[in-house]
Amino acid sequence: MNRPSLRLRSKPPKARTPRGEDFTTANLAGALSMQQCAACERYNYPPREVCESCLNDVLIWRPADSRGRLLQAVDLHHSLWEFFKRRLKHKPWSIASVRLDAGPIVFAHLALELFDLAGASDIPSGRTVAVFSHSDCGNQSVLIAVPDSIDVADPKIRLQIANSLGITSAAQREATI
Amino acid sequence: MTQNPPARSTPASYRGVALCAPVSLGYAKQSPRGAAWFVGSALRAMLLSTGLEKSEIDGFSVSSFSLGADSTIALTQHFGLSPRWLEEAPFGGASGVIALRKAARAVQMGDADIVACIGGDAAAHRSFESSAAEFSNFTIDASFPYGAGGPNAAFSIITQDYMQRYGVTREDLGRLSVAQRYNANHFPLALLGHKTLSMQQYLNARPIAGPLHLFDCVMPCAGAEAFLVMSEERARYLKIPYCLILAADELHNSHREDDVQYRGGWTEFVPGMYEQAGLGPEDIDIVQTYDDYPAISLLQIEDMGFCAKGEGATFVRNTDLTFNGSGDQANKLPHNTSGGQLSVGQAGAAAGLLGIVESIRQLTDAALGQQVPNARTAMASGFGMINYDRGLCSAAVLLGRAQ
Repeated sequence: MNRPSLRLRSKPPKARTPRGEDFTTANLAGALSMQQCAACERYNYPPREVCESCLNDVLIWRPADSRGRLLQAVDLHHSLWEFFKRRLKHKPWSIASVRLDAGPIVFAHLALELFDLAGASDIPSGRTVAVFSHSDCGNQSVLIAVPDSIDVADPKIRLQIANSLGITSAAQREATI
Repeated sequence: MTQNPPARSTPASYRGVALCAPVSLGYAKQSPRGAAWFVGSALRAMLLSTGLEKSEIDGFSVSSFSLGADSTIALTQHFGLSPRWLEEAPFGGASGVIALRKAARAVQMGDADIVACIGGDAAAHRSFESSAAEFSNFTIDASFPYGAGGPNAAFSIITQDYMQRYGVTREDLGRLSVAQRYNANHFPLALLGHKTLSMQQYLNARPIAGPLHLFDCVMPCAGAEAFLVMSEERARYLKIPYCLILAADELHNSHREDDVQYRGGWTEFVPGMYEQAGLGPEDIDIVQTYDDYPAISLLQIEDMGFCAKGEGATFVRNTDLTFNGSGDQANKLPHNTSGGQLSVGQAGAAAGLLGIVESIRQLTDAALGQQVPNARTAMASGFGMINYDRGLCSAAVLLGRAQ
């Protein structure tokens, strides 16, 4: 169960549904993998049991195009989760919603510093971005949005961006009395 | 000879159905009581106000997010009820309209004579975090892990998109919050009713997510909202004050192709409601929108025809939304007359009944201190269930004073 935690080292939410666990597994290798319907070829996300379009139940995890169009990017100043609360003490946490060229709408952590803008809301909606997956320190795959000029096919670059966001290390409890 | 397929049907008339016994109670920011206390206490309050016996309640509909292992049927044993009609409608902001429509049909068709529609939710210490974390499968896998902002995150995206699309400012959204707080200052149950809210306070509030600041967000709380549904004939015989359903409809997961939600299912069915009622938006005396965030109220005001799409901000600039018409604007439309969730608090799925319950009070001259004079009609809309990136439910009911 997803629960708040006050432990010394807090991590991002780990709980996933069984199909969400499949997403993590399928994304361990490669930049981005999503469920593709064996019948109508539609890419589906969030992970599901049957295709949204034709209800076929054969959904195959396949590499998906990383490119997409930014819908909106926002800075979060508040979180319900200890890991993000600790990260938020220093600067807002940026997230984005993206319409992938492959079809689905995704939420993703936003690598704001790569956009060279002061705040997430300064990024114009409609801008082309790339979305890739990476493991966080809770051992789940999560999505990250970056400018489309970034070479997300390179795993070293993906790791470097994930590290710079702070999702690959636990958030330490700050010293109190 | 080829036959044409049957035409898409429209809802039959709700003629002869009465709504009565409005109850709101138990509002608290935090409470050690379980959901059954809120539902059961609302039921008791309705029996006390109408003089009905518990055994006369033969239809039972419950909306709640915090029943835990229980469902409506478990509550029948808890309360010693023997209903012949059961319903569970835990659909967030649309719970009230969905429960009302089903209950009205049950009464019209003879499946039940008196249906209690009750929304009740508990608020244990830190319970909101876990309900936000586990709201749905899509939430668990694809939205909560991204910042764990709960509904604020999805709504900050919807609000920012709406503001950019139509050139809406924070001050425009603030007009709703400020007018509603004024209404709440006259409604004794509102959790924030003892505090005033100025535009300056609204604008200076601390940031929460994207364009959303503190007074754009509802406060999760415990509470109950409830009403009875019975035939008009029975309400008259029992001498219980009541109002009538002039039209009601719902549509869910509509406009699926929109990248970011900027309209709801109301655009598809509200014109039919006006047609059935023989009324237009200009004939509506009170509007109760589902105000989980101010921009969402603007969507409803637009989609229900009170102004054109995209002109919600202009509309609230030029319209006095207070219950008593005390604002400066010449155009008056009392809106969220009890203060709405933004000032009363959001009691889980019970919040989905708030607008209906307040409308019944207004149309039976039973408002708790903020009576709109001479109101004959009220529109109450419901919206809800942020399963992933948008609210899935849209619903609305048009109510009229009993003749």
